[in-house]
Amino acid sequence: MISSTQTARAQWYPIAASADLVPRHVFDGMLLGQELAVWRADDGFANIWENRCLHRGVRLTIGLNQGSELQCQYHGWRYANRTASCSYIPAHPANAPSRTVCNKTYPVVEKYGLVWSLLDQGPTFPEVAALEGSDCTPIRAIPINAPSEFVLTDLSNEVLNISDLGMFTVQVSWDETVVMTTDTGLTMVFFAQPVDAARTIIRGVSTAPINGTVLRQLNHALNRLRRRIEEDAKNIPQIDPIEPIHSSVRAELGTMPDQLETGEASLRVVVKEKIIIAEDVAQFSLTPLVGQLPTAQAGAHIDVHLPNGLTRQYSVTNGPGESDIYTIGVKKESQSKGGSETLHNTVQVGDLLSVSPPRNNFPLRRDATKSIFVAGGIGITPLLSMAKTLHSQSLAFELHYFVRSEDHVAFRTQLDALGASVILQIGLSPNETSGQLGAIYSKPDSTHHTYICGPGPMLDAARAAAADAGWNEANVHFEYFKNTNKIDDSSSFEISLARSAKTLRVEAGKTVLEVLRENGVNLMSSCGQGACGTCKVAVIDGEVDHQDVHLSASEKSQNSHMMTCVSRAKSKRLILDI
Amino acid sequence: MLSSQKSEMYPIAYNTWHVISATDDLVPGKVEQTYLLGEPLQFVIDDTGKPTVWRVGPQAEPKNARAYVNTQLRYGYIWCVLGEPTKGIFEIPEYSEPDRRIMNALSVGINTSPPRAVENFLDMAHFPFVHDGILGEEPHTEVVEYQVDYNEEAGEIWATDCKFYQPKAAMASTEGVMADYIYRVPHPFCAVLYKSSPEDLERMDVISVFVTPLDEEHIKAHLAICILDTTTEFDKDIRLFQQTILGQDKPILENQMPRKLPLDVRAETPIRADKSSIIYRRYLRDIGLRFGTIPEAT
Amino acid sequence: MIELYDFELSGNCYKLRLLMTILGIEYTPKMIDFFPGNEHQTDEFLEINPLGQLPVLCDGEVTLRDAQAILTYLATKYDESGQWYPVTDPARLGLVNQWLAFADMITSTASAARLHDGLFYHWIDINKARAGAHRLFQVLDEHLWHAEQDGELWILPGNNPTLADLACFPYTMLASEGGVPLTDYPAIRRWTDRFKRVPGFIPMPGIFPAGTA
Repeated sequence: MISSTQTARAQWYPIAASADLVPRHVFDGMLLGQELAVWRADDGFANIWENRCLHRGVRLTIGLNQGSELQCQYHGWRYANRTASCSYIPAHPANAPSRTVCNKTYPVVEKYGLVWSLLDQGPTFPEVAALEGSDCTPIRAIPINAPSEFVLTDLSNEVLNISDLGMFTVQVSWDETVVMTTDTGLTMVFFAQPVDAARTIIRGVSTAPINGTVLRQLNHALNRLRRRIEEDAKNIPQIDPIEPIHSSVRAELGTMPDQLETGEASLRVVVKEKIIIAEDVAQFSLTPLVGQLPTAQAGAHIDVHLPNGLTRQYSVTNGPGESDIYTIGVKKESQSKGGSETLHNTVQVGDLLSVSPPRNNFPLRRDATKSIFVAGGIGITPLLSMAKTLHSQSLAFELHYFVRSEDHVAFRTQLDALGASVILQIGLSPNETSGQLGAIYSKPDSTHHTYICGPGPMLDAARAAAADAGWNEANVHFEYFKNTNKIDDSSSFEISLARSAKTLRVEAGKTVLEVLRENGVNLMSSCGQGACGTCKVAVIDGEVDHQDVHLSASEKSQNSHMMTCVSRAKSKRLILDI
Repeated sequence: MLSSQKSEMYPIAYNTWHVISATDDLVPGKVEQTYLLGEPLQFVIDDTGKPTVWRVGPQAEPKNARAYVNTQLRYGYIWCVLGEPTKGIFEIPEYSEPDRRIMNALSVGINTSPPRAVENFLDMAHFPFVHDGILGEEPHTEVVEYQVDYNEEAGEIWATDCKFYQPKAAMASTEGVMADYIYRVPHPFCAVLYKSSPEDLERMDVISVFVTPLDEEHIKAHLAICILDTTTEFDKDIRLFQQTILGQDKPILENQMPRKLPLDVRAETPIRADKSSIIYRRYLRDIGLRFGTIPEAT
Repeated sequence: MIELYDFELSGNCYKLRLLMTILGIEYTPKMIDFFPGNEHQTDEFLEINPLGQLPVLCDGEVTLRDAQAILTYLATKYDESGQWYPVTDPARLGLVNQWLAFADMITSTASAARLHDGLFYHWIDINKARAGAHRLFQVLDEHLWHAEQDGELWILPGNNPTLADLACFPYTMLASEGGVPLTDYPAIRRWTDRFKRVPGFIPMPGIFPAGTA
């Protein structure tokens, strides 16, 4: 029995009818003792997942299909369409979930009006010759309390007599399919889905549409069969249910709630679309060369490795449900050192690029009673993905978009879809901008959060306006494009790595990050200038010489974290939590 | 399985005192039945409230002295031990304070393992999703940092400095507050919650869950109330409030797979908010509790 | 003023709360501690309902017991649209009554299994109760599946749910608490999702609300 279950796990079976997967519903499926949560996202994709939230094991079939995310009923964890990666953990609204928090998914094929899957690695989906090219109509699935071999034997001995169709002649095809044909030329193919050791679902498909009367007759005929099989099955010895396999999580997730991500492979993407969407702004749509792109959380960025050897960071503008594509907006900088210029002038549709998986150092909380987004110019990109996320959940927000002129407004159609929550602030002088910011921040509220992204001076002005109005620093989130501070790397000091029990020397001219990497600590980094926050490390002891623009003033004074790519030590030694 | 084999397999559970029933709703002289660690038991209280508990089934006749189970009354419940108790029943000092209302709010059957129920009791992050409008409410979902300590000598876990936004803290409260909680696990299948009393800022209400392990995947959960409340007119209202809470937890617990609590660190994904549960699972591993758990993968 | 003798965890009481909320009828709940308090067996309560059962509804001079009977009373008296209980359409009325009787059968099987598992009603034959519930759910699933093929959303044809849906909904949703999962009944599961999206819907402990449609 065990070996036959193993063989069966690597075989394709129908697990639902396509029509079973209605919008905003989670179908409760089972194959070979394995429970499945099956749901269709708003983009039409059918997700087949292990029926278990990997946080605390709660069945996802009692959760909510929110269109582009499946939400667990217990703690509200959200998992993204297609990738099943966790996109939001409400208990820690300020933190982006690690991308490795990912549910178990199974392959899916929708064909002949049925949804097919298999549990283990197996062959590619085999065609069913009798159904190819026909207008397949599934009939009502019949669950039967008997083993599938038993059901198949009885089914192949059955002659269905349907008054409107005449007699079926029966032909047993490949091992788990029964084909029946009437003299009028209608063919019915029956599959046996092994739900568990002693439970089976018969799924029948007709090669042509049939009317409601015939559907009912077929259902009656199969019910008669079901009663007979269940009666017969009472004589066979009781079979234990198949023990389900609960997949484990990655080791680092089980042990350490605050894990350190290490370096990871880059993704190969193809430029699918390049369009100029505003003065000097090009939008690039990137699709995967093979496989599937990891889900980008709201606020996340990717590193784009350019043909000329440069690496640049761009925020992904995707909203929930926009999977299998990363959309970025690139502004052509007048003083470009070759990053934006290369993208604008050299990179063309069809080109292959290498990008990092998305990293989220600018996470969006969804526990605010209102979120205020303040974008300056191309700073719209991360805020656009955030606004789309809140919009999809009907959470309150305002998006203030400061641009030089009408021609500079990027992402028009997407902004229009967000309705009246988007407020364009066009062509304001610095003084007028300050006035507007003062008005935007005039009512501080501890349950409101604001997110700011834009050019340095504008960002500084917005932060100052919020601070002046009495906003709590913890409620003001921001992301700089770049660090314009002059980095002073003249100091030399020691770093002790608490977890790996190493002490290393950082000489003048070298960064903490470089020293760590030279000594085998594979820490991730992205912008290399203290803006993006990727190389952040927790500090246990010692005084940090902060030179980044990622941390807020109070975060800097807490001395609990540092950006290893630019920040250094004021004390002789730093003890780092790595 | 014979009882002696079971006691060898589950020594910790066998040699620990467990609640089998609340005394509140028992009728003197009426024989009741239950299970404890998979063994069928019958019990009765007499006119003075004194309980007698015995094993039933082919292995034990009621008249056989060996069939009688070691029993005591505590906190309004009948406690039993099937083996040799290694220690007494834990203390909850508040039960001896004269101005407290003491009652069993509810005893309900739940198809889950004993430790899954305890872990749920220690969890705050589910309040806005499972007890929406009562113990929590979106968007107030954040679990702020709290402290958890395992006192090895006492064999107890304490989670302190726990705070969570609560729209309606109890019958007596009307508007949202940041409620303070202290959780304590003094027994593998019991947990005690100390919660800021709306009546008296200096003192805490005590709400405990005592779990009867009927077998490894079926429990009877008893909510024991020991609170300061002078405004709620009827005990009934307090009970009904707690019944709603437990009624909301039930479908969650019955949909946790596997039902037994996995002790392997790679079985599920804890986050910072789950510190209590991380320590609770570690404690169960350390004391070697096997009843209702799935051991670490080797 | 309408008074409802109510118990939060009772599916039959919930039916009435649900209908009154959907129809916007104001009422005062009189909470009865059914379990563990056994308050429905006290002398006081037995004078209100000699059968010792919940729910009971008092509306002025009218005192009614039996959830299905109360539903028909409330809908006839307070639902001006006549959708929920179509008294002027004999064929539809007959169908609704047929399904109200069916709802009672769900109570005597699925709800009995839930009382056995949750409240320790040892005297209930649990295997019989579960088998009976499965037989009913097979019938309901079949009915709803064929209705879907005909483009229908509810137990009765037409654009709106009726008391047939409302009366069958609670103990179908709560069946898994009695060890009767709905895995084999996908059309029932879709119908319960639809019903949860009826305007005015309220949940009860054991029944979670649906997400946005």
